[in-house]
Order: sequence, then structure tokens, then C-alpha cells
Amino acid sequence: MHEARALRTPWRAVTLFLLPALTLYVAFTAYPVVKTLWNSLHVVLPNRHEFVGLANFVELAKDDIFWRAVRNTLIWACTSPLFEVSIALVLALALYAKVPGARFFRIAWFTPVLMSYVVVGIIWAWIYNYDWGAVNVALRWLGLQDWARPWLGTPATALPALILVTSWMWAGFNMVVLLAALHSLPSEVIEAAELDNCGWWGKLVHVIVPLTKGTLLNLLVLSFIGKMKIFDLVWITTKGGPLWSTETVSTYVYKRAFEWSTFDLGYPSTIASVWFAIVIASVLLLSWLLRQREKLEF
Amino acid sequence: MRLRQTLVLLLLGAYTLFAAGPFVWVAMMSVRTTTEISRNHYAWPEQWHWHKFADAWFGSGYQVYFTNSTLVVCSAVALLTLVGAMAAYALARYRFRANRTIYFILFSTIIFPPQITVIALFQILVQYGLYNSLIGLTLVYVAIQLPLTIYLLETFFQRIPGELFDAARIDGYGELEVFWKIALPIALPALSTTVILNTILLWNEFLYAVVLITDESSRTLPLGIQRFMGDQQQDTGMIATGLMIAIVPVVLIYVFFSEKLIKGMTAGAMK
Repeated sequence: MHEARALRTPWRAVTLFLLPALTLYVAFTAYPVVKTLWNSLHVVLPNRHEFVGLANFVELAKDDIFWRAVRNTLIWACTSPLFEVSIALVLALALYAKVPGARFFRIAWFTPVLMSYVVVGIIWAWIYNYDWGAVNVALRWLGLQDWARPWLGTPATALPALILVTSWMWAGFNMVVLLAALHSLPSEVIEAAELDNCGWWGKLVHVIVPLTKGTLLNLLVLSFIGKMKIFDLVWITTKGGPLWSTETVSTYVYKRAFEWSTFDLGYPSTIASVWFAIVIASVLLLSWLLRQREKLEF
Repeated sequence: MRLRQTLVLLLLGAYTLFAAGPFVWVAMMSVRTTTEISRNHYAWPEQWHWHKFADAWFGSGYQVYFTNSTLVVCSAVALLTLVGAMAAYALARYRFRANRTIYFILFSTIIFPPQITVIALFQILVQYGLYNSLIGLTLVYVAIQLPLTIYLLETFFQRIPGELFDAARIDGYGELEVFWKIALPIALPALSTTVILNTILLWNEFLYAVVLITDESSRTLPLGIQRFMGDQQQDTGMIATGLMIAIVPVVLIYVFFSEKLIKGMTAGAMK
């Protein structure tokens, strides 16, 4: 079989099959990436551009809002995956233990991830509303009036409140993936642990977590990447405010490129390029640290 | 033991309320008027004002947004599936020197943050007169989903035994015929998975749309909702109706293809 396949490459067919995809890729991905990197060394105004060398990078290093955005994004990318995946693990174990109504639970928990960040953002802006949002209504009902506050309008609570939203949105999704991983484990192993009578905590730490390690790490990395890109949710709810407390790198790039009337596309390109390098580097680092990869089958 | 089970069920019920409650809440508000809502935000609809959907559709521009979204998503997904399947097939089936290099480049693109292309895409589309055009947005959508689509389909084509194709070739099929008459039909389950996955992801896409579209007449649903939200901040009832218009198609897909969809999203996740 291999001989027959390797016999001769039908170049005309290969070219025909690959050309459309590669053309689109070059025109709308590769070229824009190169152009952004080029932009980062220039001042780019609507009708002229000027080479400025590393001036943008020097300015970026001194840009306090940028560093604030980096900090917020990193906090987000490092905390949310932990919440999501640990909630997901508990939920997946519950379903794995065959609680009644498991099918319904699985479908209900998965719904948040189907909605766009725009929809989710508006709904949660309402839930956090000071006067009639569910959070404050519940607090007042419990007699905790003093705790009620405009959650997204207070610098100290805005970022945690949004992090909670992303965890809410993605926990069910991670749960479904973990459940698939649990079902693919040999059931004897878990039954054996059952017989050894090592308690549910022992079972979790010594049996289930080590066995699903590959999937768990994969999910953590995936969620990390997602949060490093986060834009829509912030843009719809707080636009980075109050006082830059929810500014992320993505929203700052957008602001500098299209909101602030500086009309310069060079500086935001510099931010994008630096962030690009950071994302690639941290993903490489993470996957090098975690190494293990598992492919999920169709 | 029974006590413990009740406790677990209670906790799971509470989590379900937390996960699905917001959706049910918005669904209820979408058929109540803003006056009714401001009296009590959490009441069951006394009267079901279905006409609010017609009002939003004809009166608040949702007809335009919905049509634009449908046009862009359908054409992008169709193009994406064809172009992606062709490329994935070539990468999985033929051996040639650049094969793994191309595959690796496409694969790494999946993790690129969108900022690295979005500013330049804005410049490029303006330059070629594709700014503010649904065609421009469609092409960009094809490009951003292409790497993941090719990756998923390549994995699938890899697993089809090569003898099948070789046999077809011996029967006198040309390369194109083998692809069109053998490979594509076999790949139908994988193709439908990527179709559903891409449809949902693009239906919800916001960042590229907000940068590349500003015309009222070219807005897609997420942009329309954002616009309506900005203009009619106080009209909670109508905003909720608009949200439902955006959610319903996705929910319908979910109802009919939930297994496929979950499979697609998890497969996409596990890259």
C-alpha cells in the first residue's frame, strides 16, 4: 500500500486541492501577520507612514495602562482555568456516578457555552445590576444589604465578577470533555479503588486525577489560551473600566487602534506583536511543561 | 446513604439553576413588556407578548441583522467546508516534501491571538474596497476558521485506509473523482461535525465583525444587539427579545444535533 501511495505524487491534483486554502491563508492570515509586524516598527497614519524603529516598543515599556492590561489578562488566564476545570471535574464525577437525571443535567449545564459573549455579557450585566440584579436581590433577601453593590461598577469587584462569568460559561463545556475521558477509562480500575475502600477523596486524588491527567492539562491550556484573547465580554460589559480595572490586552489594542483619535495603527500593532510573542511563548512553555497530549476522537 | 444522595441531588439542582437560570430568565423577559418587567423582574409572564418578536424583527432592524448573519455564516461555512476538505484530503493522502511543513504552519495558527491579524485586515480590506462589505467579512471568517477545520478533517481522512482510494484509482477514477465520489461521502460525519461547530462559532463572532463592519445595513446579529443595547439601554424587555432572536437558531441546532455539536466542540477543543 505504501509503495503504491508513494509511487508518484500527482502534482496537479495536489496543487488543485491545496491552492484555494493556501491562497486564503496567505491573503487573510499570513500577510496580515507580516503586515502587523511591519506596522509595529512604523507610525501608520491614514495616508502616510514613517519608519520609527523600536520607538513604539520603548513607549510600550513605559505605558502604564498596557501593563495594567497585561496584569488583568494574566490574572484572568491563570485563575479562570483552575475554577472551570475543578468545577467541571466535580460535575463530571457526579454524572459519572450515574445520578438520576444525568442526561438532563448534562444538556442543561452545557447551554451557557452556546451563547455568544455579547449575549452572555448583556445577561450578566443585568444579573450584576445594582437595583434589580439577581445577585443584589439575593443579598438583600438574605439581609446582607451592606454587601449589595454595583459589581461591575466597582473597581475592586469588576474583574472577579467577569472572571466568574467566564467560569460559568465554560464549566459545562469542560465537564462534557472530562466525562468523555472518564468513560474511556477501564472501569476495573475505578472498581478496584472502590474495593480498596480508600474514600472518595483518596479515590479522586490517587486514581481519577492521575488517570485523566492528560485531558485535565489539555483543558487547562485550552482555557488559558482562550482567556489570553478575551475581548467581547469586556467590551460589552465594562469597556475595560472602571479605572482600567477590567482592561485586557485585547480591549486596549482595540481602543488604541479604533477608539482613541490618534489615528495611528503602528502603536496598537506593536502591542499586538508583543502580545503575540507572549501568547506563543507561554503556550510553548506550558505544553513543554505538561508535554502530554491526548487526541479526542470523533 | 439516602440522605447523602438527596444532598448531592440538591447541590446539582442548585448548580443547574445557576447554569441554566439566566437563559430561562431572559426567555421570560423576552415575552414581557418593559413596564411589566420593571414592576417585578423575576415574575412569570402574565401575558405572553409574542408580538414583541415581530416588533423587534420589523421595527428594530433585527430582520436586517438576522439576514446578514445568515448570509455571512452560510456562505462562509459552505466555502470553508469545501476548501478545508480539499486541503485536508491532500495533506492526509498525498506524500510530498512540503506536506508536514504546511500542516505544522496551519496547526500553529490555531493558537494565534486575533489581534495579530485584525488591524492589518482592517487596512487590507479598506485598500481593496472590502471594508464594510459582507463579502469581505465572509472571506475573513473562512480564513480564521480554516486551520481548525483542516486540522479536524485531516485527522479524519488519515484514518481512512489508503487501499480504498487506490482501489478506486485502479477502477479508473481520476484524482478529483476519488475525492468527490469516495472521500467526501465517507467523510460526511466529520464534515457535519465541522459544519455545526463552525456555524455556531461564526454566528457568535464579534471582534472581527466590530472592526470590519460599521454600516448599519451590513451589521451582523452580535453587532446589531450591541447597537440596540447602546441606543435603548432602558428598554430591558426589547433587548431581551433581541437576545432571544440571536439565541434561538443556536438552541434549535442544539436540540436537533446535540450529540454532534458536543462532539464537534470537544473535538475542536482537544486539538
